[in-house]
Amino acid sequence: MNITQFQETLFRQGEQYGYTDMEIYYSGSRAISVVVRQSEVDTYRITETNGLSFRGMIGGKLGYAFTEKIAEDSIAFLLEEAEGNAAVLEMEDDDELFAGSEKYPQLDTYSALLMQTDPDTLIEAAKTVERIVLEQDERIAMVRQSAASVREHELLIANTRGLHCHQQDSVGSVSVYLLAGEEQETVTGGWFDYSLTDFSLIRLEEIAARAVAETVSKLGAAPVPSDNYPIILREDAASNLLQTHASIFSAENVEKGFSSLVGKLGQRIAGSNITLIDDPLMTGVPGTSGFDAEGVAAQRNELIHEGALMTFLHNRKTAAKAGVETTGNAAKGGYKGKIGVSYHNLYLAPGTRSLDELVASTERGILITELQGLHAGTNPTSGNFSLACLGYLIENGNISRPVNQITVSGNFYDLLGEVEELGNDLRFIGSCTSPSLKIASLSISGS
Amino acid sequence: MLQPALVEKILNAALESGGDFAEIFVEDRTDRDLGMLGGVVERALSGRDYGIGIRILQGVFSVYAYTSDLREEYLIETARKAARALKGSSGDLVLNFNQVQFEDRHPILQRPSASQNSRKIELMRQAHEALKASHPLIEQTSVGILNWEQKVLIANSDGLWAEDTRTYTRMRMSAIAVDGTQRQSGLRVPGAYAGLELLEQMDIAAEAREAGRIAGTMVKAGYAPSGQFPVVIENGFGGVLFHEACGHGLESTAVGIGASVFAGKLGQQVASPLVTAIDDGTIPNAWGSLNIDDEGMPTQRNVLIENGILKGYLIDKVGSRRMNMPPTGSGRRQSYKFAPASRMNNTFIAEGSSTREEMIANTEYGIYAKSMGGGSVNTATSDFNFAINEAYMIRNGQIAEPVKGATLIGKGLEALQHIDMVGNNLDHGQGMCGSISGSLPVNCGQPTLRVSKMTIGGRKGE
Repeated sequence: MNITQFQETLFRQGEQYGYTDMEIYYSGSRAISVVVRQSEVDTYRITETNGLSFRGMIGGKLGYAFTEKIAEDSIAFLLEEAEGNAAVLEMEDDDELFAGSEKYPQLDTYSALLMQTDPDTLIEAAKTVERIVLEQDERIAMVRQSAASVREHELLIANTRGLHCHQQDSVGSVSVYLLAGEEQETVTGGWFDYSLTDFSLIRLEEIAARAVAETVSKLGAAPVPSDNYPIILREDAASNLLQTHASIFSAENVEKGFSSLVGKLGQRIAGSNITLIDDPLMTGVPGTSGFDAEGVAAQRNELIHEGALMTFLHNRKTAAKAGVETTGNAAKGGYKGKIGVSYHNLYLAPGTRSLDELVASTERGILITELQGLHAGTNPTSGNFSLACLGYLIENGNISRPVNQITVSGNFYDLLGEVEELGNDLRFIGSCTSPSLKIASLSISGS
Repeated sequence: MLQPALVEKILNAALESGGDFAEIFVEDRTDRDLGMLGGVVERALSGRDYGIGIRILQGVFSVYAYTSDLREEYLIETARKAARALKGSSGDLVLNFNQVQFEDRHPILQRPSASQNSRKIELMRQAHEALKASHPLIEQTSVGILNWEQKVLIANSDGLWAEDTRTYTRMRMSAIAVDGTQRQSGLRVPGAYAGLELLEQMDIAAEAREAGRIAGTMVKAGYAPSGQFPVVIENGFGGVLFHEACGHGLESTAVGIGASVFAGKLGQQVASPLVTAIDDGTIPNAWGSLNIDDEGMPTQRNVLIENGILKGYLIDKVGSRRMNMPPTGSGRRQSYKFAPASRMNNTFIAEGSSTREEMIANTEYGIYAKSMGGGSVNTATSDFNFAINEAYMIRNGQIAEPVKGATLIGKGLEALQHIDMVGNNLDHGQGMCGSISGSLPVNCGQPTLRVSKMTIGGRKGE
């Protein structure tokens, strides 16, 4: 039973069951990935999965249920479960299904060429990266894994009010992760890159060279004394920190009391150098999207404009509550979740100088390249963070040595007002991106 | 789930091109998730995961394929597609499946069902009321009950046939305290390999008050200091210390390829002689327990460290081939979407003889870490971190003022050597452990213990 047949049967039987409005959110993905170790294929994965979430209006409430089995015998299950789930809901402000936006942006997010990549090409790429890595530096102890993959994803949202949104995207990527050693010391590092259009455009030599440089430059690391230091968060570390706290801009979290931005709309919450944008219409990046999880056309939104909080991210329900228009940011954590709120392609507007220039203009400080344990050492509600990190000591505008076994602590809300300068090095490798950030002072705990 | 004749066809197709071992993992899982915010039921989700993972081994080379399309011809085609990743020829396989016999150590009294919704909502409301009343500064409450039932079938070309049903229940209670511009959350998340009886037998109000107390206390706390201090880590989920500092480093996924600091150290002193550590998948109804692991092998009690000496690793099937050592019943995966890997079940440090009071009294200046959050580790370097959610200063042998959460960091081998007092009050806490084969329920346990020196990620000022 294909998805179209499933949808028709589900909606027909649902109507007989007593549902008034109904919607499906269908997500399917297909991937091939290989992992190479010691010039041999270590793991080869072929994966294919589908999932479907149903929601329907029954008894004046919207009930949800999901399944991975797209087959006739799942239909009764979905209808019964969603009815039972609707029955226990107690919210008074229930959402209703959306009939569709007037028009949708036309975005090209799928590459048939990419998906035609031969598995042998993936294996060759992973082997090539491993080989180049091992040739580069005698301190490389082991390539733990060299991996290559292509994957595609399909999303369909359709309902009985006429909504029909469909999107496909695809990505190919290569990554390498290695160990280097000197005497008793071991360090690890890696790098990855991707293409959304053509696997052959992925620059294998650069991945290998960057992975080696990232790794061996950590050898000889030691802590620094505990103190407050000027800090540069490199773009990847800064992106991770932003992503971990991005939920504070969700109107849903604000309304529920999970964000300290409550009541701050229109106020200055950051330095005048901070502009935060969610732009799903940007092309050639992983976060491109034509519509949100409710089927609302996606749009560009400025959340912070030169330090002022302009809007929260909304779905239709949070927007109705706040008396504003939806920003097109309904989101679902996969097909299983409930409709919530999230960004599509969030990024901080860059500055003008390169990371090297930021380092050169720092008398003494720490360049942080990696933050660890973000799932545990942060608290978006309070904004306090305390995180293990890795990086380099900067002295007289130069990187003088690697640093490890230290933590950095601060508060994300305060940090928005303490960014001295933003770098020009935006690198869109995920859906949340920051350039390198120079911060006047953060607390470092070390020796 | 699947008939033996079809399984035999799939395994034969999987071995068409030279594999020496093939395995299927079929999963049918039902999830139920209820959520209440500020006393109002606002989330009710349920659904079904259903699919198959097919694994083929040729030596230590593995092929893994999964699909949620379980039509017969499609399954055989998927197995063939996976087999084509290998170069070789087939042998004809005639299988006589032998059912893996095991005694069910984890009785379930009230299996999850939709009909329990109204009772669950009553229990959630009890938690909400207790959270709200727990502290005058509480402004928001959030309560959830998650449970799931996972039916699995594991069969392989050695003739193994194993089926089991696993049932999990977990309650999440969270409070947010607000004091001026400060907002702080407190959380309790008890769970077990059990049905609704877990919650019927639990003192829900006491758990909820604990979450509220943490939020109310921490919202007014100052920052922890930075630097290196003795740390007294409370029992229960404090076991996350061992889980991160050592546990992951003993998994064959890392040890088997030499990417762990614990590789090649069997029989050596790797920890203070006060440390005996065990991973036990057999504890009745514990959150991290299983009758059989996800490769079909009965779980067991594995002594990892005894009086500081490294005694064993956690080994799955591929690890067993790589290391030439027997598997330990530790092959686990979140779902059919993951190949199994060596993972922890219920890991804990065994009891010593000190009391909590002695440890505090013997610490002139340090940190008392009362409740812990998650953490992470790099097994190759053993650099680890984990979060303290509730902490206090220790001054002159007494617990002093509360300090806000902070991260503790260290190197596994050093931290284990620096454990200088181990208490007599073993307890376990529940967590979700994320790693190569997905997110899995695990217990972390320990008695209260003291580490003589750790780096705490606080702020300058002391």
